Amino acid sequence: MNLFEAKLNANCIIKAVEVEDEKTKIRLMELGLIVGTRLVVKYKSIMKKTLIIFFNSSCFTLKDNLAKKIVVNYA
Amino acid sequence: MHKVLILGNPNVGKSTLFNSLTKSNEHTGNFHGVTVEEKHKILKYNNQEFDIVDLPGMYSLNSFSYEEEVAKNELLSLNATRVMLADANSLRKNLYLCLQLDELNLDYILLINNHDYFLKHKNKLNINKLKEFNCCEIINAKKIKLENFLKILKNNKKTSKKSKNNNYLLQFIKKIKDKYNLSEEKIIKALNGINDNLTDEQHSFIKSFLPEVIKARYDYIDCILQDVLFINNDFVYGASKADKFLLKPTVMTIGFLITFLLSIYLIFFLIGPWLSDALNVIFQFVIVNPFMNFLYLITDNVWLIQFFSSGVFSSVGTILSFLPQVCLLFIFLTMLEDSGIISRMSYVFDDFLSIFGLNGKAIYIMLLGFGCNTMSTMVARNMSDKNMKIKTALLNPYISCMARLPVLVIIASAFFGAKSYFVITGLYLLGITVALILGGILNKTILKTKSNELLLEFAPIRPLDFKHIWQVGKVNAFDMLKRIFVIVLSVGVIVWCLTHTMFNLSYTENMSESILFVLADKFSFIFAPIGLGSAGIICALIVGVMAKELIVSTFSITNNVTSNTALIASLTSATSVISFTLPSAVSFLIFSLLYCPCASNLAVLKKETTKFYMWFAVISQFTIAYLLSFVVYQSMTRGLSIGILISIVIFMIMFSLILIAKKIKSKKISCLFCKKNCK
Repeated sequence: MNLFEAKLNANCIIKAVEVEDEKTKIRLMELGLIVGTRLVVKYKSIMKKTLIIFFNSSCFTLKDNLAKKIVVNYA
Repeated sequence: MHKVLILGNPNVGKSTLFNSLTKSNEHTGNFHGVTVEEKHKILKYNNQEFDIVDLPGMYSLNSFSYEEEVAKNELLSLNATRVMLADANSLRKNLYLCLQLDELNLDYILLINNHDYFLKHKNKLNINKLKEFNCCEIINAKKIKLENFLKILKNNKKTSKKSKNNNYLLQFIKKIKDKYNLSEEKIIKALNGINDNLTDEQHSFIKSFLPEVIKARYDYIDCILQDVLFINNDFVYGASKADKFLLKPTVMTIGFLITFLLSIYLIFFLIGPWLSDALNVIFQFVIVNPFMNFLYLITDNVWLIQFFSSGVFSSVGTILSFLPQVCLLFIFLTMLEDSGIISRMSYVFDDFLSIFGLNGKAIYIMLLGFGCNTMSTMVARNMSDKNMKIKTALLNPYISCMARLPVLVIIASAFFGAKSYFVITGLYLLGITVALILGGILNKTILKTKSNELLLEFAPIRPLDFKHIWQVGKVNAFDMLKRIFVIVLSVGVIVWCLTHTMFNLSYTENMSESILFVLADKFSFIFAPIGLGSAGIICALIVGVMAKELIVSTFSITNNVTSNTALIASLTSATSVISFTLPSAVSFLIFSLLYCPCASNLAVLKKETTKFYMWFAVISQFTIAYLLSFVVYQSMTRGLSIGILISIVIFMIMFSLILIAKKIKSKKISCLFCKKNCK
C-alpha cells in the first residue's frame, strides 16, 4: 500500500522509498524518512493531493506525487 | 578579523541569534526559508574584530536549493569559527548536519536553542552525556549577549577538536576503494555533496551508496541519542492541538478572508486614519507652519517660498501621513509570520495554487509582497523548481505593496468616500486575481512547472512576541522615514524643479510650460484612451516607476498641497493641475496598481531571473494594466455594451497570442503558417 492510500491517523512503517527524482529521494531520507521509519498520516488537503505526515517527532507536508512512491505497511 | 559563521537547519533561530549578538533587526520569522542570503555584521569587542555571519538554513550538505548552496559554500571556508545552532525539539534531524561536518573534519560548536519549549513538553535532554560526543551548550538565542556568546566560543574552542568517529563509513569507503583508486578524503567529500575532481562515473558510483550511508548515519545518531534524549511519546514538534481546526480548508479559507478584510478595515479605515491625521497635525504645526512663517518673515522671494511650500513640504507631507498605516501593515504581517500559521496556509492552499503552477510556499512570498515586492521577489529563489521560481518572481509585482498604499487610499477616498473600503479591498483582490490568471497562462505556455512537490516542515504555533512585533514596527517606521527623507524628498525636489522650469531654464508658475509637462504631453496620445491623457498624471506615472510613493508626492507638488486631506479635495476639483473624473479615477487606480514594477524590483528581477524576464515583466504588466484600464474607462464613458465588445476582442487577441506562445515553445511556429500536417 502506498502512503497516500494509508488510512488517516494510522501508524505505518515505511517499507520502501521509490521516488523517481533521486535528489528528492535523498532529501526525504536525509530528513529521516528512511525504510523502517514509523509514521502517522494525519491530514489530507481539500483536493486530497497533499498530506501531512508525522515521523520522528516532526511533521512534514508531502504531495501525492511523492507519497505514492512511498510504500508502507501498517504497524 | 575573526569570522563566526552561524549555521544550522531552517527555523532554529539563526537570525534571532544574529540579531541578539549584533543588535541588528534582520528579518526573522516562524517559517522555513526566511533567510535566503548570508548576512554579515562586523563587531568590535575587547579590541578584537568579529565578522558575524548569518547563513541561510540547510538540512544537509547535499544542497537541495539555492540558499542551501550559498550556506554550504560559505561554511566550507577554512578560517572561521562555525557555530551550529540546533533546536532541542528536533535534535535528531539537526545532528545529521553535525555528523556531515564531523566527516569532513570541520570544527564547530553546537549550541542548542529552544530548550524551554522542549522541557515544557515533558522531554528530557542529558546535555552532559551529549558533551561526550560534541562540545555543546544550551542557549537562548533571543536573550544571549555577545559577551556570553564569545565566552562560550572561547571555552569550547579548546575541546572542539575531539576525535571524530567515522567508523560507520568505513564499509562504504572500502567498497568504493575496491572499484576506484580514490583517496578517503575525496570519497567522504563526494558523500557530502562536494565533487573534488571526480569523473561523472566515479561520482554516480559513490552517490549510489548514499541511501545506505544516510541510514548508517541515522543509526549512529540514534546510538548517540540513546542515553541523551528522552522524548515524550505524544510529542511532535510543529504539531498543535489547533491543527485539527486550522487545517480544515474551509476554516482556514474563511478565517484567512476574515482576517484579511478585518485588517484592511483596521489599518485603512479605523486606527490608521486616526493616527495619520494626528501625525499630519503634528507635522503641520510643529514643522511646516513655524518654518513657513519664519520664511515669510525673512524673504518675499516667490521662488524660494514656492520651493519650500510645494517642493519640499508637499512631497514629504502627504507620504509622511501614511507612516502609521505602513507600520500597522508590517505589524499585521509579522503577527501572521510569527504565529506559525503561514506553514498551515501553505499546506491548505497548496492544492489551489498548484492549478496555477505554483506551490504552497508562494503564499508566504505573496504575503511578503503586501509589504515590499522587492523583498518577496528575492525570497522567491527558495522555490526548488526553476520555472516556478521565475513565475513567482514575475507574479509578485501584481501584489499591491505598501508603496502603492498611499495612491489607492488617496484616490479611493477622493471619489468613493465611505465606500472606499470596498474599492481598496477589491483592488487588492484584483492584483491577486490577475497574478493567478497570469500564473496559469505562464504555466500552460512558456513556464511549465516540472515538479511542484511541497516538502515543508511545519513550524510550531507560538504565542505572539509583542516585543518582536513592536521592534518590527519600529524598524519599518525608520525604513519608511529614510525612504521619505532620501528618495521621496530628493526626487520630489527634482520633480518640483522640472515642473517649475522652462526649457530656457527660467522659472515659471504655469506648469504646462515646464520641461516635465511639455515632455509628458508628447505621450498623451498613448494615455488618452484610458482617460489619463493629462500631462500631470503622465508625469506622476513616469516618476512612479522609480518608487510608487512618488506618484502621490508628484500629485502634491503639482497641486501645491501639504496634507492628504487637502490633496483629496484638490483631486476632485476641476481647477487643480491634476484632477480626475470618476471614470479616469477608476482607470488610474487599476493602471497604477498593475502598470510596472518599481526600479528596485526590476533590478532584483534581473538578478534573480534574466534580462529577458525583466523586460517581459515590464511589457506584460504595462499591457495588462493598459487593457484593463481601457476596458473599464470605455465601459464607464461609452456604456457597458461597448466595454463588453472591447473585452471580447481583447480576449480573442490574447487567446491567439497564448496559442502562438505555446507553438513557439513547442517549436511548431512554422506549422502555424502552412497547411501541411507536418509534425
